[in-house]
Amino acid sequence: MGQTGEYTARVIRQEALDADAFLLTLEAPELAAAAQPGQFAMIGCGSGYDPFLRRPLSIHRAQSTAGAVSFLYRVRGQGTEWLATRRQGEFVPLLGPLGRGFRFAGNSRRALLVGAGIGAAPLLFLAEALAGLNWTLNILLGARTAHSLFCRSALERYGRVHAITDDGSAGRRGSVNALLQEALKKGTYADIFACGPQPVLQAVQRASADRGIPAQLSLEENMACGLGACMGCTCRGSDPSRMLRVCAEGPVFDAEEVILDD
Amino acid sequence: MTDLAVSIAGISMSNPVLVASGTFGYGAEYHPVFDVSRLGALVTKGLTLRPCAGNPGRRLCETPAGLLNAIGLQNPGVEVFIGDILPAMRSYGVPVIANIAGATDEEYVALAERLDGSGVAGLELNISCPNVQAGGMALGTDPCLAASVVAAVVQATSLPVIVKLTPNVTDIVGLARAVVDAGAAALSLINTLLGLAIDVETGRPALGNITGGLSGPAIRPVAVRAVWQVAQAVDVPIIGMGGICTGRDALEFILAGASAVAVGSAFFHDPLAAVKIIEDLERYCDRKGIADWRTLIGAAWKS
Ligand SMILES: Cc1cc2nc3c(=O)[nH]c(=O)nc-3n(C[C@H](O)[C@H](O)[C@H](O)COP(=O)(O)OP(=O)(O)OC[C@H]3O[C@@H](n4cnc5c(N)ncnc54)[C@H](O)[C@@H]3O)c2cc1C
Ligand SMILES: Cc1cc2nc3c(=O)[nH]c(=O)nc-3n(C[C@H](O)[C@H](O)[C@H](O)COP(=O)(O)O)c2cc1C
Ligand code: FES
Repeated sequence: MGQTGEYTARVIRQEALDADAFLLTLEAPELAAAAQPGQFAMIGCGSGYDPFLRRPLSIHRAQSTAGAVSFLYRVRGQGTEWLATRRQGEFVPLLGPLGRGFRFAGNSRRALLVGAGIGAAPLLFLAEALAGLNWTLNILLGARTAHSLFCRSALERYGRVHAITDDGSAGRRGSVNALLQEALKKGTYADIFACGPQPVLQAVQRASADRGIPAQLSLEENMACGLGACMGCTCRGSDPSRMLRVCAEGPVFDAEEVILDD
Repeated sequence: MTDLAVSIAGISMSNPVLVASGTFGYGAEYHPVFDVSRLGALVTKGLTLRPCAGNPGRRLCETPAGLLNAIGLQNPGVEVFIGDILPAMRSYGVPVIANIAGATDEEYVALAERLDGSGVAGLELNISCPNVQAGGMALGTDPCLAASVVAAVVQATSLPVIVKLTPNVTDIVGLARAVVDAGAAALSLINTLLGLAIDVETGRPALGNITGGLSGPAIRPVAVRAVWQVAQAVDVPIIGMGGICTGRDALEFILAGASAVAVGSAFFHDPLAAVKIIEDLERYCDRKGIADWRTLIGAAWKS
């Protein structure tokens, strides 16, 4: 995986996708060249010591020729609120690329990609990379409303997208877990890649165990260093004596490596 | 350019900027980001005799200008440290100080004996961890207990013994005097302040361990005060820490009486903080025409 570095990145674009979701594109050539799907960056979100910690955001897209990196994020609190006020030409400090991303190798495999909410952010980068290896992708996307299926059209370039929404404004009404069960009944897959809220990850983890399909899950945990130094971001490993650092051994884990707490 | 060299407890350093235990891993984690051989010394995460998995549940919670942590001393144990980690840590060419934590005097002694001759330059006794049940802070808040463990460790090792004190006491000066009388070659001040945060959505404490240690700029004035008081009461060098983010912050500690400083939580805000602090100190000395930077140590009360 690419060399990690600290950069001051210029804002190329900040697009509001809805009232509180944004697509931020930064000029970060080294990061764009080094990043792998599933990796993340720690972004400085404030000018003083409040907020004090950086915010972890997944790399949504890396365009190495343009030297640009994009982040898809939802405003949750103080940090992301500040980030959303950054305008073109302003600068943002960032450390990256970080963590262990999705693992994939070989050509022309069949994979199921599962994402829900803003948690689907890392899927675009992954889908682009897999499509480049001629993989056949079935992509299951869940969101609150049709409007928040942000990367649907971008993902359609790389595979078949099946959407489902909480309010039924796109696809059926329901959760992405329903689509997961159907997809697994109908098709056979060599791999499953998932990101999103805990219930989605838990469903994929169970399906992986039941059907013997290898799955990879992208986890979230509170972070301070992002580099594996502070031991602050751990989750429980399946081996009970091991606590795994989400920022270093993850954020993408093999489904059987981790115990997912509620 | 100003020479920032200093010697603490017989450990020679090219500059007085160290890292605070537990915030910098074992050096390798940050080496891709900056050349860690520029630091004055490396300090390990707290080491225990046997591997320690640390605390369950959430371990970090951001607070105003800082954070609460309850890691619970997760570390691979002293054997794995010596066998697998120390060689790489020493390869940077800067002194390595091993931070050690035990539940009893005997455990501290066993750790000190094991590390003697291992290649570490010194020991930092953590008798101030707020996040572990046994030993830790209990040992570090009673001057008699603290003196006894320090005396036992000093007996057991040829390495210089630095003692790290907790601010969670009424009389930090009394504690400092007790451990210096027991043979401490230097003091590290301060460890984290005991704190608590409640998640109002769940109605429960934010951290799995319920309480945690507060660090970052929020605690800096408490740390500067501790250094100021202790430096005037004891004759051993002090490594000052607590919210240091800039050269200005480091100078505050030095002027209060610290002979070196450690950068901790600042790495989470700016991974390059330590390098910038070293450069800030050089610039400050150049600008002020200071020939020997050590004349700044304690200058706020000496003059
Ligand atoms: C590896 C990783 C990748 C992520 N990728 C994305 C992404 O692509 N898009 C996106 O919108 N969000 C993503 N998140 C979640 C994002 O980090 C949080 O929404 C963000 O930190 C909230 O910060 P805040 O100041 O707005 O909220 P606040 O609630 O004010 O934050 C307070 C503290 O809690 C932490 N925190 C809050 N929520 C989370 C969370 N879910 N995970 C980890 N820490 C949290 C913050 O970092 C901060 O330290 C990711 C998290 C991780 C760990
Ligand atoms: C995440 C974290 C882990 C820490 N782990 C240790 C430890 O293992 N041993 C120790 O003596 N101090 C530990 N500390 C305390 C720091 O070394 C330092 O004393 C304290 O954080 C104050 O400095 P700061 O505000 O610059 O971080 C830890 C602090 C943090 C934030
Ligand atoms: S955030 Fe520090 S170890 Fe993961």
